[in-house]
Amino acid sequence: MNKAVIKKNRIIYFLGVVGVLIGLAVLVIGFPESGRTQEEVSSSIRRYRERVRTGYYEGYEVSPLNRQRDTLSASGILHSTVLLSPTAAGVRIRSYLPDAHAGLKFYEKRTCTECHTQQARSVHADRGGINCRQCHGPEPIPAIKHYYSPMNPIRRHAYVCATCHEGANDLFATYIIHEPAPGALTTKESFPAFFYANWFMVLLLVGTMAFFVPHSLMMILQEIAMKKGEDGIGGLADFIPDRFKVVLQELFPKKERPEE
Amino acid sequence: MTPKMFIKRYSKLERVFHLWIVLTFLNQAATGFSRLFIATTWGHKLTGILGGYKTAFLLHKVGGILMITGFLVHIMYLLTKIDRKNLIQSIFGPDSIVPNLKDIQHLWQRTLCFFGFGSLPKIDRWAYWEKFGYWGVFWGIPLLGTTGVMLMYPVLICRIMPGWILNIAALLHRAEAILAMSFIFIIHFFFGNFSPSKFPMNEAMFSGSVALHELVEEKPAWAERLRQEKKIEIVTTKPPALWYRVLYFIFGYAALAAGFYLLITGVVFSRYVKLH
Repeated sequence: MNKAVIKKNRIIYFLGVVGVLIGLAVLVIGFPESGRTQEEVSSSIRRYRERVRTGYYEGYEVSPLNRQRDTLSASGILHSTVLLSPTAAGVRIRSYLPDAHAGLKFYEKRTCTECHTQQARSVHADRGGINCRQCHGPEPIPAIKHYYSPMNPIRRHAYVCATCHEGANDLFATYIIHEPAPGALTTKESFPAFFYANWFMVLLLVGTMAFFVPHSLMMILQEIAMKKGEDGIGGLADFIPDRFKVVLQELFPKKERPEE
Repeated sequence: MTPKMFIKRYSKLERVFHLWIVLTFLNQAATGFSRLFIATTWGHKLTGILGGYKTAFLLHKVGGILMITGFLVHIMYLLTKIDRKNLIQSIFGPDSIVPNLKDIQHLWQRTLCFFGFGSLPKIDRWAYWEKFGYWGVFWGIPLLGTTGVMLMYPVLICRIMPGWILNIAALLHRAEAILAMSFIFIIHFFFGNFSPSKFPMNEAMFSGSVALHELVEEKPAWAERLRQEKKIEIVTTKPPALWYRVLYFIFGYAALAAGFYLLITGVVFSRYVKLH
């Protein structure tokens, strides 16, 4: 390719890339405004949904009228059809209490992760050094679904997330703080995208190494053999059954090496 | 042809791209591991060496932006190399690094030859393992870059995407980084330094040239093509100066030592961290 063509190409592509960068800048500037950062946003009451993004704080009512009886949610057929037993419902119902730990024996002498073992998985705690109370609040700790809880999904972004992440909106608050173990089968039910992304990357890593490590060993042995004037490890052919060996020798005959 | 002839293999710009990716990659690996292993004693020490938690994180972000910038400039460079009048040949021809069916054939031939059947494949300008390494980086940087930018600006990203996307972005970022480090520090370093024909170092990417007798042995199809097209004389170049060889040997082995150190220590300490 002559230099004039290369120069012309470069100018065209340079302008193209500049155009793409300007486009990206416009896209970033034109991102939807973070208007939902300080208002309570969700309501399962149908008549309030249309007002969710009005921007007027307390411009609509969000009350705990949407309480439903706890039901067993098994994937697929049993979803929302079987009511929980009184005992199981008693456990689940705690997630609606103003004091989630009310009535628990020896509560004062225990630590959070003794019972909430799964919730010990948190990047915020491990990397950020944040403890449970900094988000869940002081005693009495209200249950997450309790109407007045700052952790309630309708206001979590404003009362909890935004204390550090300025401008956090309700979408931001859907980040899973206590990530499930990505490879666990239970994660397939609770967070399938996370589960499949993890296994895709694991298979990619294992597949890449499973191919290239033996391939590299093969090349080492082959290059050592080449230094002795051979192409491969001839003795290995002895491990191949004779009938296959004959076929392979016919299909892939050895060629004479050209003179150096 | 004389055995002392050297053939130009990489242009100056291509070597600068390689140097750029080496430096940014090592920076990302060290600063990324310092953050990942912060809860361990080793992570603490590594973070201290890098200037503390905040500085290491800042270095990681700056390194990432430089890496993405280098990648975008490389894309521009590739686009200028495409001959639009001869598009098919330009993309799938023997001088192109785009994979083709011959690569599978070469792998098959090489494996058979290892077991004593047939002959070694006649490789052209790019061997299939070189193409894999190149395209591994080519898909890795956009993935690391995209997820990295998402994690850098989570509040902005969540104006249009739900927050749980960030969980997946963090997972992909970590997993791809571990994959890239494993591949580079084990496989790429093997091809670059420990392959018997290359030991102690494959100098081509630093010197830009390769001895003709080596080329005839490794890339017979390319050497033959150059001879047929009477380009041997055109692509002949001088061997690298001694001082330059010393310099890139020191640099290459320092990079190798840093890579092995990070990988081995990372494996040792991996039991003490939650990879979430």
